[in-house]
Amino acid sequence: MVTSEHMIRFEQVAKRYPGGIQALGDISFELGRGEMVFLTGRSGAGKSTLLKLIALLERPSRGRVLFDGRNVGRLSRRQIPWLRRQIGIVFQEHALLSDRRVFDNVALPLVIAGVAYPEIRRRVRAALDKVGLLDKERSYPPMLSGGQQQRVGIARAIVAKPSLLLADEPTGNLDPELSAELMQFFVSLHELGTTVLIASHDLDLIRRLQRRVLVLKDGTLADDVPAKQVTVS
Amino acid sequence: MSRRGGSQSGGVPWPGGLRAWARRHAYSLLSSLGALVRHPVASLMTVVVLAITLSLPTGLYMTLENAERISDGWERLDTISVFLDAELEERDAMQLASKLSARPGIVAVDPISPQAGMAELTGRLRLDDVSEQIETNPLPWVLEVTPESGQNPETLSRRLQEADGVDQVVIDLQWLERLQAILAVLERLAIVLGVLFAVAVAFVIGNTIRMDIQNRREEIRVLSLVGATDGFVRRPFLYSGFWYGLAGGLTAWLLIEIALLALSGPVGRLSGAYASDFALASPPLEIIAVLILGSGILGIVGSWLAVSRHLRGL
Repeated sequence: MVTSEHMIRFEQVAKRYPGGIQALGDISFELGRGEMVFLTGRSGAGKSTLLKLIALLERPSRGRVLFDGRNVGRLSRRQIPWLRRQIGIVFQEHALLSDRRVFDNVALPLVIAGVAYPEIRRRVRAALDKVGLLDKERSYPPMLSGGQQQRVGIARAIVAKPSLLLADEPTGNLDPELSAELMQFFVSLHELGTTVLIASHDLDLIRRLQRRVLVLKDGTLADDVPAKQVTVS
Repeated sequence: MSRRGGSQSGGVPWPGGLRAWARRHAYSLLSSLGALVRHPVASLMTVVVLAITLSLPTGLYMTLENAERISDGWERLDTISVFLDAELEERDAMQLASKLSARPGIVAVDPISPQAGMAELTGRLRLDDVSEQIETNPLPWVLEVTPESGQNPETLSRRLQEADGVDQVVIDLQWLERLQAILAVLERLAIVLGVLFAVAVAFVIGNTIRMDIQNRREEIRVLSLVGATDGFVRRPFLYSGFWYGLAGGLTAWLLIEIALLALSGPVGRLSGAYASDFALASPPLEIIAVLILGSGILGIVGSWLAVSRHLRGL
């Protein structure tokens, strides 16, 4: 596989939704391999749209989005699954199957990849253990709290060991203590080599972690603060 | 299909190759069965509708098969009546009878005298006093020829016509021809119905799968979000269609056997009344195989229609 220096590269990307709503306009930035970056901005600033463009949940109206050197906007419908398997995504609205047990929900990416069952069991348990929900593997998602469901979603996103982790407000439903714990968990993933991009408006938490921060404002990139300049207030 | 999808994605192979492919199939198979079992009443209702739909043309076909077996027996009873020249005496008639009975293709020759013929005729027409009023019997000698089964009666009658002393050859096959024509019409009807009902089965299954897809929209969305191929999403629905068809075919077979069992008593009494040992035959193995496998394939066809129409653009 051709490896690119940049995991993600946006080149003058714009996204206009049907109906004329301009979600993003002229965004350009790069995300290095193994980097950990926060994406922040008010709600409606375009954070979710930006993440969706990477995983091809939406296609850009203009410009190019490169994942590992490939223009994702040019991928055919058949190639989308390949892209999504490189990326672990934590969705804001969890996107869990309510009629499947927690274990089966987390196992989904491995089942799709055709992993053998003993291996699935081992890796699902490991992922659930990391998010502190090993005792809930036989529960159904509706039996869990919002925060617990969020963590099931995180376990599912990391279980297939993706090279890129995207998270849309992963701490949105969690109390500060749990939020800090989860962020620390993302940091440890990053330290093991995963590229991590997290959309969050939890500025205090972001400042404490001292990582690079992209600031979106009205669909444009208002600021790109390098890691060392993020100050603890 | 999924493997093809893998090779297209820029040389990144599917992890695990053939064994992973088999595991994904096993998962689809089990999850499709699970989906049916999770809604037992709905699944059962669909299966019963399918079974009844399938059992109707199969039942008609079985009825015709049995009717043909009966009429095959009747064909052997058919005889050819050879009317001899009026001036032929008893001695000539007897000679001709023994000559004809030696011919190939003829099982037996039964001579009927003019007197016997008159007696039968007056008896049948209830004209007891007619024979007394007619002074000279106008009937000739008649030879009742029983052909070997499988003999073409037409050719045989033409050959009999050429024999010396034969006036006229009469084959009374009309009623049998009519019966066979009726059976042929019904058989064609069974085929037409069979095709129509097969289409109905495919559409019933297609519609069931369509509703299934609608109910599982969220699941399909989540699967595609975490990187499932179209093939992976599609497969459980195709398996479901196959299960519906297979269960429908099996249940149809069961219904037919139950119907045969219910009919066997009255049919036995009826054939007993005709001094026949006729009994209803169960469908032959190949018909059962066609019924069950055919409906399974129809299930796949039906679900394929639904899946290709409703899974696009999700």
